Amino acid sequence: MSSSPRNAYTRILLGILVANLVAIILVGASKYLVTYLEGNHAGNSSGVFIFSSFIVVPLLMGAISAWYWHPLQLKTLAYIGWSAVSTLVASAASFIFLKEGAICLIIVSPLILCFTLTGALLARTVYRRKNNTLNSSLAGLALLVLLADTFSSHENVRLVSDTLIVNAPIETVWPHVVEYKPITLEETYWLFQVGMPSPVQSTVDGYEAGAGRKCIFSNGYVFDEKMIVYKPNEELTFDILSQPHDPEIMGHIDILRGQFILKDNGNGTTTVIGNSWYKLYVFPGWYFNLWSESITRNVHLRVMEHIKILSEKNV
Amino acid sequence: MFDWIVTHFGFLKHVPLLPHVFDAWLKLVSLFTNKNLSDYIDDIEAEVLSWQHTDVSAHKYGGVQFNAFNRELGHIHGNGLLDILFSQTQKLVLMNRYPIQHHHVFKHSGWVSFKIKTVSDKKLAIELLRAAYIQNNS
Repeated sequence: MSSSPRNAYTRILLGILVANLVAIILVGASKYLVTYLEGNHAGNSSGVFIFSSFIVVPLLMGAISAWYWHPLQLKTLAYIGWSAVSTLVASAASFIFLKEGAICLIIVSPLILCFTLTGALLARTVYRRKNNTLNSSLAGLALLVLLADTFSSHENVRLVSDTLIVNAPIETVWPHVVEYKPITLEETYWLFQVGMPSPVQSTVDGYEAGAGRKCIFSNGYVFDEKMIVYKPNEELTFDILSQPHDPEIMGHIDILRGQFILKDNGNGTTTVIGNSWYKLYVFPGWYFNLWSESITRNVHLRVMEHIKILSEKNV
Repeated sequence: MFDWIVTHFGFLKHVPLLPHVFDAWLKLVSLFTNKNLSDYIDDIEAEVLSWQHTDVSAHKYGGVQFNAFNRELGHIHGNGLLDILFSQTQKLVLMNRYPIQHHHVFKHSGWVSFKIKTVSDKKLAIELLRAAYIQNNS
């Protein structure tokens, strides 16, 4: 550091605080504006987060921090370290002001760190060239992307499908697909181990299309469902009528429909196919779909493994 | 890992900003594989900037680019991979003298690649950049 240590730390802290202040204003404003513009399309979510919130805003955060840091001629290692601190501050601010959950912040932190660091290192190089036209053009371009993204349509509906072979005939498997006793299997998926709710039990009001079904999760959350297709030994499809609100992933995803399809393999075994349709309210989809697919897949597999154990016990 | 990504996902280098994000990610990973690497790159940068008519910029495919006399001398990616441009003749002379390779993508060009891992690699990197600087100045 070239200036006095006290002055240097003031600049470093200013870089972090101003960057985070701008970020919280931009993310908060875009979240409420996009949620308002999406209207009913925002579903039960706690708000829509556009891709700019996790890409353009962190890039700007990095660029703002570098504006304060570059006269100090910090080493790259310091840029990495202070960018990590800035990411932690952003996570804490999201927890306090945007009411985000800890698991959501674990999911989003690598993305924010990578883009904040990219913004800081790129800006450091740009500021060295002392080209104010270029600096203001890049800042203007970033804000333009943020505006265009805010006023664009946001739709991200996905299907996750999983298959499992059960060593039991179809008529033995079917009752456990419709409703099942509490799952006692040990949690193996790391997000379930750190506190994300996992499926525990399913109950039904009746055994026909139109009857209600409930899927109960480990923290007591209940998904209210309505069976829309009830074909014994063949297909069970249900729409999700209501799902719990929470600050974690459930606040950013609507599970729309679930489905079990059973196929008789002709050798005393049954193929169980589990399908789920969901709508995601956080972008970029290429990043968050990786997580939501993984979570949905592990919900499927936990239920399907349980169905397999229950069915094979009776053979 | 770097070679595998460049081979299979190299076409993504044309997506705006993506190479720079990839380079930032390389820097983060390098912290765990070679914690001194970013200091070596900083030292090389400081040395090159001490020469007349030089400056640095962001390389279009990620990393720090060294320029002299309004031309690129070379660039270093976040994993310490240094790429330098020489004439074909000088490239062959240097490849016989130093442990440097053909460029990791453009093998038949005047570009060479050299992976910086240690303090002595840093010194050789400066020596090579100096040779490119002199070549551009002559």
